[in-house]
Amino acid sequence: MKALWFLIPLYLLPLVVKSDTMLTVLIFTFLLSILAVGFNIVFGGAGQLTMFHAAAFGIGSYATFLSMLHFGLPFWLGYLVAVVVVVLVSIVIGWICFKFRLKEFYFAVVTMAFAELCRLIALNWTSVTNGTLGMLVLEKPTLWLPRSGIVKIEQTAAWYFLTLVSLTVVLAFSALLMRSWIGRNFSAIRLNEDLAQTLGIDTFRYKLLAFTISNVIASFAGALYGFYTGFIEPSYLSVTQSLDAIAMVLLGGVSTILGPVVGSMVLTSLPHLIELPAELRVAVYGMILILVILLMPRGIVGLAAGLLKRRAHAS
Amino acid sequence: MLLKVENLTKRFGGLVAVSDVSFGIERGEIIGIFGPNGSGKTTLLNLLAGLLPPSTGRVVWKGENIAGARPNVIASRGVIKTFQNPQLFSELSVFEHVMIASFLAFTRIKDHSRLSSFLAPGKGEAVLRARAEKALTLCRLQGASEKSAAELSYGEEKMLGVAMAMMCEPELLLLDEPASGLGNDEIHNLENVLRDLRAHGTTLCIIDHKVAFLAKFADQAIALQQGCKIAQGRPNDVLADPAVVKAYLGRSHHA
Repeated sequence: MKALWFLIPLYLLPLVVKSDTMLTVLIFTFLLSILAVGFNIVFGGAGQLTMFHAAAFGIGSYATFLSMLHFGLPFWLGYLVAVVVVVLVSIVIGWICFKFRLKEFYFAVVTMAFAELCRLIALNWTSVTNGTLGMLVLEKPTLWLPRSGIVKIEQTAAWYFLTLVSLTVVLAFSALLMRSWIGRNFSAIRLNEDLAQTLGIDTFRYKLLAFTISNVIASFAGALYGFYTGFIEPSYLSVTQSLDAIAMVLLGGVSTILGPVVGSMVLTSLPHLIELPAELRVAVYGMILILVILLMPRGIVGLAAGLLKRRAHAS
Repeated sequence: MLLKVENLTKRFGGLVAVSDVSFGIERGEIIGIFGPNGSGKTTLLNLLAGLLPPSTGRVVWKGENIAGARPNVIASRGVIKTFQNPQLFSELSVFEHVMIASFLAFTRIKDHSRLSSFLAPGKGEAVLRARAEKALTLCRLQGASEKSAAELSYGEEKMLGVAMAMMCEPELLLLDEPASGLGNDEIHNLENVLRDLRAHGTTLCIIDHKVAFLAKFADQAIALQQGCKIAQGRPNDVLADPAVVKAYLGRSHHA
């Protein structure tokens, strides 16, 4: 839980930084951090390389918006519908993959195929999703706050705090989860699945749990993302979106609590801070990613933790 | 009888890896199963642990047939298997590795709800930590508790595998070639650990091809050849058995 202290300066930042652009960059950073934290639970925790998290992200935004549109639900109830959808989808896909004992590369390919299937549905089911044109989202989430009553989240500052609080909650949940018996069972599965089974762990059940939790968290990021940008399109479910989250986790530090957030900070904020021509920016971004992964196999947080440990040993 | 193996057979296509093997294990004894490479030792152990389903035959644990049950179910009944080559995390400490194996011990702690332990580890965690210390002490790793797994010698790695298994409080511990790859000092250490485990009340079933190592302290030995049991009895009698001498050493010469 110590990792959460890292977020405190971010709560104070709006007192100093008044620039909307800066806050906007951070809002995107927080939203993609949530996606990456979710991915880190199933990959960094249970060792299952899923490629479905972008699909869950997209389903989160589509299902929330569509249930608001068709059933007249408020945002949070709409999101609840999305959670039910994502849980069901995760159980079906996870059941298929884990019953057939798909591992590593095979698991990645099959989950990627399912994710593409979801993207194609979003793309081609025009009467519901408006296909490639996407959907304009004019509604905003509302929150009940003491003293102010029900508020619409519209202003940049409001979104900043909503996404930051969401990230804090998700991060706290992930920290609690990883140190609980569930997190330990995930680690045992990541270490060696056969060994985990002979230690009494129902690996099928815990892999399914990791996959489902990670997808629900991804869908939360997706729901907020769609309503923040005011636009939902099929590319939310794309493979590149999944790869971005994977890059964030690898860069920040796989299997660390803060890694996904640090990775998202670098990969989401950095491109906006480096003022270079677009093509050059992509190249620089790629170079940074390659170098970091080659030089710091345990990511930024892993490296920092290692250095701190060494210093503690030396003194 | 704690465990009874009845006519256990495992076929892989046309290959019969374990053929009609029967034996029993009494509570508190050490049983050694040996045989040359490819004699079906590891397959037999995997059948007992549930990692492979048998083709035919029964494995009766305290009167209940557990053949074909899933490994985690068998483990929860008290039968735990160690692995020949434990794969470890370089970034985790020895202690953290043992804690990874704490699930069964966790499920056996009474009077605490899983939900409350999720929010605040508290009491259950203290019980588990004490148990982990005990498992490490049994395996002579108490001094290495805070070391990272990357700093361990091969022998210590194997002992850590045993400590993780002991964290599950097995009634029957299945050891897969615990002595392979160890130096003389490490084997001596292993023998002491195994004696301590027996004193601790754990029944042991060890497979190995180092006959001399098993003969030293096993109460009962079983010799396998090409999946068949060719001899069973007190270790020295088994070693002297003409069929064993012929199969294991290839020619008549005393082990």
